[in-house]
Amino acid sequence: METHQTATKSVLQFRDAGKRFCTPARPDLWAVRDLSLDCPAGKITCIVGPSGCGKTTLLRLAAGLDDATTGQVVLNGATVSGPSQGVGLVSQEGGLLPWMSVEQNVALGLSIAGRSRADRRARAARALGRVHLPPEVSKSFPHELSGGMRRRAALARVLCSEAPVLLMDEPFGGLDEHTRRKLQTQLVELWTEDRPTILFITHSIEEAVMLADRVVVMGFATKTAEIEIDLTHPRDPLSPDSLDCQLKIRELLQQTRQPQSL
Amino acid sequence: MTLIRKIALGSIVPAVLLAIWWAMSLQSSVVPSIGSVVEVLMNPSVAPADLDTTSITAGAQISILRVVLGFGLAGITGIVAGFLIGLSRTSREIFAPAMSVAMAISPIAWLPVSIIVFGLATPASVLFGDEAWRYNTLDQLSFAVVAVIWYGAFFPVALNTAAGVRGVRRAHMETVRVLGAGRMQMLTKVILPASMPAIFTGLRLGGGIAWRVIVAAEIFPGTRSGLGYMISASHEIGEYRYAFAAIIVIGAIGLVLDGGFRLLAWRVGHWQAKER
Ligand SMILES: Nc1ncnc2c1ncn2[C@@H]1O[C@H](COP(=O)(O)OP(=O)(O)OP(=O)(O)O)[C@@H](O)[C@H]1O
Ligand SMILES: [Mg+2]
Repeated sequence: METHQTATKSVLQFRDAGKRFCTPARPDLWAVRDLSLDCPAGKITCIVGPSGCGKTTLLRLAAGLDDATTGQVVLNGATVSGPSQGVGLVSQEGGLLPWMSVEQNVALGLSIAGRSRADRRARAARALGRVHLPPEVSKSFPHELSGGMRRRAALARVLCSEAPVLLMDEPFGGLDEHTRRKLQTQLVELWTEDRPTILFITHSIEEAVMLADRVVVMGFATKTAEIEIDLTHPRDPLSPDSLDCQLKIRELLQQTRQPQSL
Repeated sequence: MTLIRKIALGSIVPAVLLAIWWAMSLQSSVVPSIGSVVEVLMNPSVAPADLDTTSITAGAQISILRVVLGFGLAGITGIVAGFLIGLSRTSREIFAPAMSVAMAISPIAWLPVSIIVFGLATPASVLFGDEAWRYNTLDQLSFAVVAVIWYGAFFPVALNTAAGVRGVRRAHMETVRVLGAGRMQMLTKVILPASMPAIFTGLRLGGGIAWRVIVAAEIFPGTRSGLGYMISASHEIGEYRYAFAAIIVIGAIGLVLDGGFRLLAWRVGHWQAKER
């Protein structure tokens, strides 16, 4: 297991990355501090951690939306210094533009890349099909969709761009258990088809164990543990192995929280 | 049922006003009778024989043309200026305070100054010199009046556009940045569509002000055409039925203008009200 891990190529790496925010209220806040992390190629890496521990900050560093204060983020061998091609992001809010139809939103990356209208429509339709959204919604606006449909549309957008690296910030947060489970299953199906490298943020331990090849447990601003999940898909969250992993992660999370409580 | 109710309730105030008008026209020799005003309105293209002015239609035409010119210029310059001060902090810090002061001054206050600056120049006099009088319509669009209309409409357009541009959500900008958009595409894909509702609010406000300003400017001595001039001319000789007719037409055109902008604003901004 250990040797196997070093053999896999890492697509996305955090090398002692740190991010400090200076606001009047908190002039010296390290949202991420000296964090090193590897996301192996073609695998799903999940980050779990309590609210406010720096998960979104970490993902923004990888997306090139923020610059690391210390250390660096390396993508395919090059230091990240801005948004890069081949990286798709599903933000915590979904990031659908309210003035565009679902179809335009899904094909936004293609229209920015200057693709033809016919191409955009065809690919948007395909992406909508892949996330199980009915074709009728393509002309709808985001505010006309349910929460789950909007999450699907956001997912369709990153699929449409065919990015080999996907950064997902709690993409299924705030959904009911049933919808969430369905979306998780669909994500795994999509991942099995294209094998993108995924960095997936969640604060649900169960979700992490459902999806991840590797779970990274975060405490405040730092990584506290890494756990390999060696279960085959599709996974059952109630299987003994799965519950075992969940328990282990829960313990790790509880341990990390104590020193921060002062 | 609701439509009938709407019409019934909406006509209460006009009906009361008409009744008051009717009662007053019986008492006073100044207030024209409803019938005489309706007669003027029924023959809008007939120039009043007893009045040194053009017909209602010709007057409305020239007023509308002046507004289209002044407001068109204000729209274009206002949107450009709004983008500049919305996007650049320095230019905002330079211009915004002065603009707030400028907006507080009635455009009509500038009319004398405008007449001194532009004199009697019109597009016709600039283009054709001494032959200008041959081009009657162009010769009526005096720059002094157009400039005052521009002044009235420019600031609401510019300041609303700037507010819209500044209000663009960072998350939306980041969405397109991550998808590989450059500066130009950020402008066309996010900043412009996101500020459309604010731009149209500015245009609607500016259009309303422009329409009010033109009538006031035409009443001012020096202008010899337009609906405003018709009002002042009918005042001169005490033939108030023309003034009343002009006022009704002014109201109607203003209503259409506002309705048009409302419709346009809804088309570009319907997503905003429903956004969750
Ligand atoms: N732009 C910013 N300016 C100042 N502080 C920030 C900024 N963004 C994040 N922070 C701070 O950094 C810390 C980590 O925030 P972050 O959004 O990364 O948390 P998170 O793990 O994603 O939380 P959640 O699970 O609630 O989304 C928080 O204390 C937050 O207040
Ligand atoms: Mg977050």
